[in-house]
Amino acid sequence: MSIALRDVRKSYGRTTALDGLDLDVREGEFFCLLGPSGAGKTTTLKTVAGLERPDAGTVEIDGRDMRDVEPYDRGVAMCFESYALYPHRSVYDNLVSPLRSPRHRLPAAEARDRVGAVAELLGIGGLLDRMPGQLSNGQRQRVALGRVLVRPARAFLLDEPLSHLDAKLRQQMRAELKAIGAVRRTTTLYVTHDSVEALALGDRIGVIRAGRIVQTGTREDIWYRPYDTEVARAFGRPRINLLPGAVTGSGTFRSPDGALELPLPLRVAAGTEVLVGVRPRDVSLTGEGHRLTGTVYVTEVLGRSVEVTVRIGAQHLSLVASRAEAAGLRPDDPVRPAVRPEHLLVFEADRAGVPGRRIGTSP
Amino acid sequence: MRKRLPGWLADAALILYFVFSLFPVAWMAILSLKPANQLFSTYFSFTPTLDAYRTVLGGSEGIPFVRFFGNSLVVSVGAVALSLVVGLPAAYASARWRFKGSEHLMFTLLSFRFAPELTVIIPLFVLYQKLGLFDTYTGMVWVLQLVTLPLVVWIMRSYFADLSPELEQAALLDGYSRTQAFFKVALPLVKPGIAAVSLLAFIFAWNNFVFPLILTSHEAQTVTVGALSFLGGDRPKYHLTAAAALVSVVPPLLLALTIQRYLVRGLSFGAVKS
Repeated sequence: MSIALRDVRKSYGRTTALDGLDLDVREGEFFCLLGPSGAGKTTTLKTVAGLERPDAGTVEIDGRDMRDVEPYDRGVAMCFESYALYPHRSVYDNLVSPLRSPRHRLPAAEARDRVGAVAELLGIGGLLDRMPGQLSNGQRQRVALGRVLVRPARAFLLDEPLSHLDAKLRQQMRAELKAIGAVRRTTTLYVTHDSVEALALGDRIGVIRAGRIVQTGTREDIWYRPYDTEVARAFGRPRINLLPGAVTGSGTFRSPDGALELPLPLRVAAGTEVLVGVRPRDVSLTGEGHRLTGTVYVTEVLGRSVEVTVRIGAQHLSLVASRAEAAGLRPDDPVRPAVRPEHLLVFEADRAGVPGRRIGTSP
Repeated sequence: MRKRLPGWLADAALILYFVFSLFPVAWMAILSLKPANQLFSTYFSFTPTLDAYRTVLGGSEGIPFVRFFGNSLVVSVGAVALSLVVGLPAAYASARWRFKGSEHLMFTLLSFRFAPELTVIIPLFVLYQKLGLFDTYTGMVWVLQLVTLPLVVWIMRSYFADLSPELEQAALLDGYSRTQAFFKVALPLVKPGIAAVSLLAFIFAWNNFVFPLILTSHEAQTVTVGALSFLGGDRPKYHLTAAAALVSVVPPLLLALTIQRYLVRGLSFGAVKS
């Protein structure tokens, strides 16, 4: 089923949660909504679920206006970030709850099989007799997810369903989540603040900020054509380098102290204040490209690779090199990192509170 | 660090306080065990007898204390039950939704507790006479709502407010109606609160004096007023009043002991945000 939000507004007292939000989730799609806390992610989900009534704007499910349609009539299942497990009922009773409700009722034996299968899938088969209070956060989160998967739904709304798992389990669950048949076939709106999760899971990603969608697109769109500097910063670790400077008369980029000059991949009016973005993994110590001259500032081992921060004039440029390439590098050693112009992103300079937009063809 | 009292001093202080607070109860007990002729002549040395209790419970003074006791039970339980039936949904609604005039409504309800009962008792008396509610169970249960309903609504409101609305929202998405979400999710989770507030409301209703004093005469009279009947007549029978008073402490005490388990959790639960 498809979900569409049109110019949805919602405020709580003086706080604006949604400020004219537009969103389209296509039939069968796994859509990741990414944003920092307080951006309106949970409010968006609850608005779709019918738990919050928008002050203005419409919510459509399969093209039908959902105004005045009660949550239980919308056919969506939601996993809450707070888990929202019934504390007075056992794990089994929590999981079977949708299947005992008037709308999704199954005969007891069938419900038991269904719960058993889902519990098995999520690795909580041994916990069915426990109370939610006796579980770890990771276990609670899986029970909450189980309560969503156990029932038939036209769409899943998942609010940070992996956030409280430990790193190893999170990685494993992330891989498994999309493999679950029900999730693969069903429209899923997935909320997260973790860009790695969004890139790994989302067929498409929506970046939300201050109650609005800033950019929607595939992971390639978001990665190669970020809407502005903040979207560029949100994705990728180590973070993208954003170098301040201006465009020269000959169309190149030069930092304020003149120590850093780069050819630009597109024409920008001379004198424009810009930020040039280049991802650390696109800068190399040995590869082809435009060579820069600088000295090593600091090195940090990231497992198999090494993050090297190079000082060029007053600027710092971080790059990721293999351990072999970075072997023996000491602070203040001279280095000549190479940058390929096609890897450069050009942004307008940030203004107070407004991140600079990318200059170039729109995504 | 704060200096602490030596152990024995603290113990002594506690014992002193214990004696101080239990003395009136002990005095009542002593009084109730005295025979009528030693009532005014001795303090502690007397021949203990259960005569006072026999008289009170046997109704031989022409005062049907057992019936008053039954009246108190009926009226108090009735008042608490009605308050719960009306007050729980009201508390839930006011905790979850801001509707037009909801705050005014809540304040009005609370304001029942502002005015001393004596200020409204005369008009109530006239009304009850005209409506035929004077000296009836219905009339007493109704008037006691002034005491118990605000208590139930205001205390239960804070319990419901402390409960995450996401639990009921989860129930809605599980396919339950709003009514089912209330009964299956919200209500079971405030059980400790219900226990605590029921006990409090029961005690308040049981101990109420002014309403039964003015609004009942014989049929629906309660223990609080009934116990005083022994003081009338040619000479006050303090030992009978004492015995009646001690007997009438039993129900609240038993109730408190029975639900003690919920009570301790209940009284702290509402105060501490989890």
